[in-house]
Amino acid sequence: MPIQVLPPDLAAKIAAGEVIERPASVVKELVENALDAGATTINVEIREGGQRLIRVADNGCGIPAAEAEIAFARHATSKLQSVDDLSRIRTLGFRGEALPSIAAVTHITFLTRSNTESAGIYLRLEAGELVSRESRGAPAGTIITAEHLFYNIPARRKFLRRPATEAGYIQEIVTRYTLAYPERRFRLEVDGRITFQAPGTGKMEDALIAVYGVDTARQMLLLPQAAAAEGDTPEQVELEVAGFVGPPSLHRANRKDLTFFVNHRWIQDRSLAFAVQEAYHTLLPVGRYPVGVITISIDPAAVDVNVHPSKNEVRFLAPHHVFSAVQRAVRRVVVEESGIPQITFSPASDPWHDTTAFGGHSRAANLRVSSAPSASQPAYTRLALDLHRPLDSPLSLPGAESAQSDLPLQFEPHEEAQKLPFLRVVGQVSKSYIIAEGPEGMYMIDQHAAHERILYEQFMAQRGHGPVASQALLEPVVVHIPPAQVEFAVESVEILAGLGFHLEPFGGDTFLLRTLPALIQHSQPVSLLLDVLQELEEERPTTVHQEREAALTRAVCKRAAVKAGQTLNVAEMSALIQHLESCAQPRTCPHGRPTMIHLSNGQLEREFGRR
Amino acid sequence: MKISCLQENLAKGLSIVGRAVAPRSTLPVLSNILLETDRGRLKLSATNLEIGINCWVGAKVLEEGAVTVPARLLSDFVASLPSDQIDMDLNPRTQTLNLRCLRYEANIKGIDAQEFPPIPTSVDGGQMYLEPDTLHEMINQVTFAAATDESRPILTGVLVNSNGNRLTFVATDGFRISVRGSDLAQVNSQGQPNREMNVIIPARALIELGRISGDQTEPISVTITESRNQVIFQLSNITLVSQLIEGTFPPYQQIIPKNSETRTVVNTQELLKGVKIASLFARDAAHIVRLQIKPGSDLTPGSMVIRATAAEVGDNVSELDAMVEGKEVEIAFNAKYLLDVLGVISAERTVLQTVNPLKPGLFNPLGSDDFIYVIMPMQVTR
Ligand SMILES: Nc1ncnc2c1ncn2[C@@H]1O[C@H](COP(=O)(O)OP(=O)(O)OP(=O)(O)O)[C@@H](O)[C@H]1O
Ligand SMILES: [Mg+2]
Repeated sequence: MPIQVLPPDLAAKIAAGEVIERPASVVKELVENALDAGATTINVEIREGGQRLIRVADNGCGIPAAEAEIAFARHATSKLQSVDDLSRIRTLGFRGEALPSIAAVTHITFLTRSNTESAGIYLRLEAGELVSRESRGAPAGTIITAEHLFYNIPARRKFLRRPATEAGYIQEIVTRYTLAYPERRFRLEVDGRITFQAPGTGKMEDALIAVYGVDTARQMLLLPQAAAAEGDTPEQVELEVAGFVGPPSLHRANRKDLTFFVNHRWIQDRSLAFAVQEAYHTLLPVGRYPVGVITISIDPAAVDVNVHPSKNEVRFLAPHHVFSAVQRAVRRVVVEESGIPQITFSPASDPWHDTTAFGGHSRAANLRVSSAPSASQPAYTRLALDLHRPLDSPLSLPGAESAQSDLPLQFEPHEEAQKLPFLRVVGQVSKSYIIAEGPEGMYMIDQHAAHERILYEQFMAQRGHGPVASQALLEPVVVHIPPAQVEFAVESVEILAGLGFHLEPFGGDTFLLRTLPALIQHSQPVSLLLDVLQELEEERPTTVHQEREAALTRAVCKRAAVKAGQTLNVAEMSALIQHLESCAQPRTCPHGRPTMIHLSNGQLEREFGRR
Repeated sequence: MKISCLQENLAKGLSIVGRAVAPRSTLPVLSNILLETDRGRLKLSATNLEIGINCWVGAKVLEEGAVTVPARLLSDFVASLPSDQIDMDLNPRTQTLNLRCLRYEANIKGIDAQEFPPIPTSVDGGQMYLEPDTLHEMINQVTFAAATDESRPILTGVLVNSNGNRLTFVATDGFRISVRGSDLAQVNSQGQPNREMNVIIPARALIELGRISGDQTEPISVTITESRNQVIFQLSNITLVSQLIEGTFPPYQQIIPKNSETRTVVNTQELLKGVKIASLFARDAAHIVRLQIKPGSDLTPGSMVIRATAAEVGDNVSELDAMVEGKEVEIAFNAKYLLDVLGVISAERTVLQTVNPLKPGLFNPLGSDDFIYVIMPMQVTR
């Protein structure tokens, strides 16, 4: 085939393909335009997953009648005049490509009235061509309707998912922007039904509730409001990190609920996501991801938004500075929440500081957040915390492998790491953590996780030789099991007996409990049993005997273990540590979370400037 | 208020009422001791709202009055003073108590006595009178079996039951039960018949009563208040008031086994020693101690073998001579439950009656049915 210039309509379609991938991309562009126009109310309406119709109505500034047509011309924008403007960009749009791209693959109806004019203008475009234009009365603002998406590109149409799925993507876009603009009112109508509404009160809390629901929203933790440019090096960038993140107890199976905005632009950035994930390091169960909405405000000059046609990627001039500021903000609040002593990274071992790991921005080294002399930097290090995560577990970061080895987490060989030295109890912190001293420095032990581990190993050790030892009750206790769990309880009678709970069906929801596991006979076993049944009934673990037994054992240990918030005396703490010392895997709880944090003498000395 | 008393008397009184002080209460006044002049004596009071103790100390009252002062500080200060006369003088305006003893002087800031919750004191004629020694023994033999966790509040108490002639204390934590009876005198020291009584007293209150009644010689009177929610123990110069636990005590008689297949008699101290040693090994193995009981033959005496095994630690075996009637049996108990009872049996020999490894074991001192202790066994695989 000879080389030839593409006919304009084909070129337009191809170009459109880069911007408009699916209905949600249309919604994204139109909502961004409405936001750029300063609208305070944005109503989105879709039919049949957006393929049939997408309408976005706003009460923004509108377009003067004389300019309306130009808006649909390629590379027409009011937001940019010169290349230099790009480095000052505060609007979401800047390419002047969205409207023409949408127009190339849909039928457009456009009604807009500039708030400086008295009459509005109505346009109709098909395949990018103007087919009608008239003056019409209209409210100030813009109503744009895009119908029959990809009517002229059957290949694209084939790739669309079910309308419900596409509607889901659209809802995701709308809800995300709600979080970036809590002061704007958003509404989404799907096939005539309102599926989402944000009140636009300006309070982030309300937006969180609208997006996540009350329960989740209530758990979210506010990031400390701190600007991160404390240094005085000229490269230091003004940077502000704000938003909300979930406590470690709130987690998801994927990263979808981790949202980032840079100067109000929703972006996707795996390195940022990784930075946040690392802030939760070891606090989240393996393979789970945090929830959060993080807004980064940064000098537009320090970020390049023109990276990808979909505008959802940015390039930071000083990425490590940004990542580390985000990580620190998240870490601080998460750590406060979980009560774990704060761990930050020393300059030498700061993962964001490692210039090779992230593409060799040698400047980044100067962009460290704090310019304080390194001796005064907190340099706590965790030791062997990560035994439950395989070393080669996938990390989302380019160059992650090399970064991994530079992380301050020392992955010790299993054998060594597992052994515990003799520890002496120093005290208890927050009624949750035991501070102990060993030959190697200081240990902070999570009393609940540690006890869980102890009980679990004791159960398993006994279980190895038959049923675990049980203590009979003088008189059986009558237990009423909620109807929903009766079946599960009956099915599990044998397993429970093996664990020391001799439970005898007594008709209906009534059971007689005749014995208790000797290991935990004093921890209110009846309510414990009910809790365990409820928890497991909800999860419905497999019917495979071994797995169910393991799940039951873990649940029993979890419930029976001393709770955080329980005051322990020195004797109790010593006994706990003694038992922990004799565990085969003292450093993690049965669910894989760490039981302890170690601060070595060397680190202490460094901290106090003795070395 | 202006009074003088002897350092020893005050120190002793403070240590007695100090047992009822709530050390970290949300109500600050409960961390204080109330000092009050009362008919020519000094009355000391403390309460944690569950238990209240009053104690009267001989004093020279120069001016009536009352104040509450922090218990720790006052007790520690008085305990450090030389054994001499202490003069106390309250400045009612500042509620500051001035104490002087020889050349030592202190001012302690107090809280107005009005804020102190009233503790009932005066009782005319108890409903029951108990000999201090018997009471002591009963408390020791029963209170340890009460539950310490609050999941079933009734079980944290001791059932105190009297039909006028016989008094019974019962406590159980659901795994073992301790029953101690004692005959009451026909007429008590006041010449009155003892009255019937059926209440549940917090084990903690009885334990305190046991502690403060150590050197009592006079019978102790017991009274249930009109409202039936408090019990008052009247000692010489001391009253202890406790809330009662409401509810019905589990019907305990039916739990006590009526017959046995094996009756074993062993030396109490030998058994105690054997179990103590075994418990060292049982510590890390859910406190399981196994008793293997074998009847003797014409030539050999019967025996009891005490065994404990901890997978990680090791094992231990001790053997005692025993008089065994009936079948051979092996039964496992919680070492702690055994130690508890063996520590309070004063008889030289102890009887253990068992049916089989799944049925409760019954302990009592040889030759007396006043004290009965029943433990549920543990079920273990070997
Ligand atoms: N809802 C609206 N209200 C007011 N003006 C609008 C609206 N939508 C578009 N415009 C005007 O039309 C112009 C073109 O819009 P278009 O979305 O194509 O480009 P852009 O937003 O400038 O850049 P980008 O391609 O990055 O979105 C905008 O610059 C703006 O002036
Ligand atoms: Mg745009």
